[in-house]
Amino acid sequence: MTRRVIALLVLISALIGARVLVAQQDSRAKALSMRMMCVCGCKQILGVCNHVGCTYSHDMLKELDSRVGRSESDDLIIQDFVQEYGSAVILLPAAKGFNLWMWIMPVVVVVGGIVLVRTILVRWRRNAVVTQENVSSDLLERARREAGPDE
Amino acid sequence: MDIFGSFALVLALIAAAYAVGAGILAIRSRNPLLIKSARNAGMAVFFLVTMAVVSLEYLFFTNNFSMAYVAEHSNRDLPVFYKIAALWAGQEGSLLFWSWLLSIYAFLALFLNRHKHPELMPYVGVVLAAVQTFFLVLNNFVATPFQILGHASAGGAITVVSQADGHGLNPLLQYPEMVIHPPMLYLGYTGFTVPFAFAMAALLGHYPGEKWIHITRRWTMVAWAFQSVGILLGAHWAYAVLGWGGYWAWDPVENASFLPWITGTAFLHSVMMQEKRGMMKVWNIWLVFVTFMLCILGTLLTRSGVVSSVHAFAQSSIGTWFTCFLAFILVVCALAFWRNRDYLRSDNQLDSLVSRESSFLFNNLVLLAGCFAVLWGTLFPVISEWVEGTKISVGPPFFNKVTIPIALFLLFLTGVGPLLAWRNTSFDSLKRNFAWPMAGGLAAGIAALAFGFRQFYPLVCLILSVFVTLTIASEFWRGAGVIAVRSGVNRIAAMGQLTMRNTRRYGGYIVHFAIVVIFIGIMGSAFNQDVQQEMAVGSQMTIGGYTIVCQNFDEVDNPNYQSERATLEILRNGKSVMMLYPERRFYLASQVTETMVAVQSTPLRDLYVVYAGRSPETNRPVIHAYVNPLVKCIWFGGLILILGTVIALVPSQQPAMTFRPAPEPLASQPLPQSVGVAHGDD
Repeated sequence: MTRRVIALLVLISALIGARVLVAQQDSRAKALSMRMMCVCGCKQILGVCNHVGCTYSHDMLKELDSRVGRSESDDLIIQDFVQEYGSAVILLPAAKGFNLWMWIMPVVVVVGGIVLVRTILVRWRRNAVVTQENVSSDLLERARREAGPDE
Repeated sequence: MDIFGSFALVLALIAAAYAVGAGILAIRSRNPLLIKSARNAGMAVFFLVTMAVVSLEYLFFTNNFSMAYVAEHSNRDLPVFYKIAALWAGQEGSLLFWSWLLSIYAFLALFLNRHKHPELMPYVGVVLAAVQTFFLVLNNFVATPFQILGHASAGGAITVVSQADGHGLNPLLQYPEMVIHPPMLYLGYTGFTVPFAFAMAALLGHYPGEKWIHITRRWTMVAWAFQSVGILLGAHWAYAVLGWGGYWAWDPVENASFLPWITGTAFLHSVMMQEKRGMMKVWNIWLVFVTFMLCILGTLLTRSGVVSSVHAFAQSSIGTWFTCFLAFILVVCALAFWRNRDYLRSDNQLDSLVSRESSFLFNNLVLLAGCFAVLWGTLFPVISEWVEGTKISVGPPFFNKVTIPIALFLLFLTGVGPLLAWRNTSFDSLKRNFAWPMAGGLAAGIAALAFGFRQFYPLVCLILSVFVTLTIASEFWRGAGVIAVRSGVNRIAAMGQLTMRNTRRYGGYIVHFAIVVIFIGIMGSAFNQDVQQEMAVGSQMTIGGYTIVCQNFDEVDNPNYQSERATLEILRNGKSVMMLYPERRFYLASQVTETMVAVQSTPLRDLYVVYAGRSPETNRPVIHAYVNPLVKCIWFGGLILILGTVIALVPSQQPAMTFRPAPEPLASQPLPQSVGVAHGDD
């Protein structure tokens, strides 16, 4: 009885493991294909290239599937694709060298913008304080009287 | 008719150039006759360009294949509907179409203001005519649509050659939305010329106060609305025609249309600072300048081939002209600003950091950061190739990583901003306005987590969407409550009254709600599924609760195209729900094959089926099916956006003066900030 239970558990875990593996392979290949460009000149993402008569995407996707099937790492697959088809094949260039600027600049703009907005707000706030100090209490009271009650 | 069209274009150029020259002289001399003459010349451009457009359409409808443009973009069997659209199918025609739309805007701006703003309008006329002159130069000398097919003989005589039939319209453009999408987008692009002209005029003419803002607000909203509709129609066209299962791929041409929309949105928000508080004058002027420049940059990117795009239907060396024009505009804007910067001095004061003013500043910061990120990602391949010498691609992975956090922060501000008061917001007011919406958002998030909703960004998007929707709903509810008590109508009728009393504010809220609905639609893409399978008659595939059964494959012939078609029965929960017929068409005139997607659309999800061709190995038909949740929200959101914009464009009505006295306990309720309608709109 115990042996049967163990055998059943092993079978179930193997089946689950196999299904997960297959699922991972499919989703990995799909995810990788969405990170690459078809190189036939149609300017479409490899994973969604539906260009009629495309002589590249079918072979590229098959190659991707077989490499994922051989459990090669994403980096290795991408490196090999870059060597084979050129750097334009990847949609997200590696963050190194000059390409690092692609990531740095938006951050610089956001951070710089926040600093700028903060500086502007502080200056405007200071202007308001200075103006309030320059207005005499009599004048303020008269202005309030003439403006009438708040709505 | 071709000669007629050519002459009309030459005369239009002369009229536009005269409007510039006479306008400048008129500004200097203040001669009323010259001012009128320049204005009339500016308006005459519209009639002349209209003649050219009518001529070209006549040539399309009469199948005059001795005209290069007609032969290239039409054929005898092309449906009438598409012969109209053929006007903007290629470079020359689309530039003529651009000139025509610009001339319509210019005509309306000059005509509607002919008895108003005498100090401002001569400048406006000059700026509009100058932009028109540039496009008319292109129409006449660089990309003329009235070129005749033929060759010169030895004696110098021209022999006209007429083809028996044309090459036909690009099959990708043979889709109903392509008849509407380009005009909408072009109306957006060209429409931003009017606020640009008024801003430049106000700066050059030192026009007092915030008047130019008041004049241009509606023009900007109209252009912005057309741009929004154009972008959404383009997304829908991509979804329904390109057959890759998505609607937005961060393609350079898509990005080009998005950039001026972002800065236009920033401008529509920041003008309120200038109207209400006299602040951000420099910022507003530059936002208008930048929006216009981004429109020209978009055209440059679309047409020059500087960046690779799947949407670029008309590429040529015309980019040099646009580069020069863009540089010219930049120099003119910078010089005009530098020489007149004193005019833009504003009295910037902030009473509190927690106020509408600071929220608008952050709103503008976030919008411009998003704009920069999109522009940077679009241009980076060009910059990288220039610096490194290697060609790279920047696609959705970059744009999604950078823009999603920015967009979500913007969504948050969409909820927060309108509930903050001008000048100062008290802690009590904050608590009163935000407690319920925030609690609602968090409750939605917890419920989603309990139902297994685990992805971070979609979860944040859901929480913020509920939060923003509740803040908008609470504004309507409380405002309508006060009106209902005072005038005795029910709350729904009171909501209508409330909206019409301050159309700008409540129209704006409806637009905000539309943005929320669009965000929900985009959020759905995180749960897309797809499956691709070879199918034979009788075989089936399953995806997302649907079973697709292949009933038949057949061939359909038509004078315009031949097609291979699959007949698929769609089952859900074992019940047949509908038949779908995805096709693969071969267009005879252009010798191009395209896919025709079949979609079963419901409010919750789309089943999107593509006939992907035949497998190279087995020659069996391949069907690619996608289940795309919530896509309909995007198109529905677009409709709400149009409704909100139209409401915001309608002038506010004054409230009726017959109020019923409010019962005592309710009279002590705090009024929502929005009920102060007597002071106009915000």
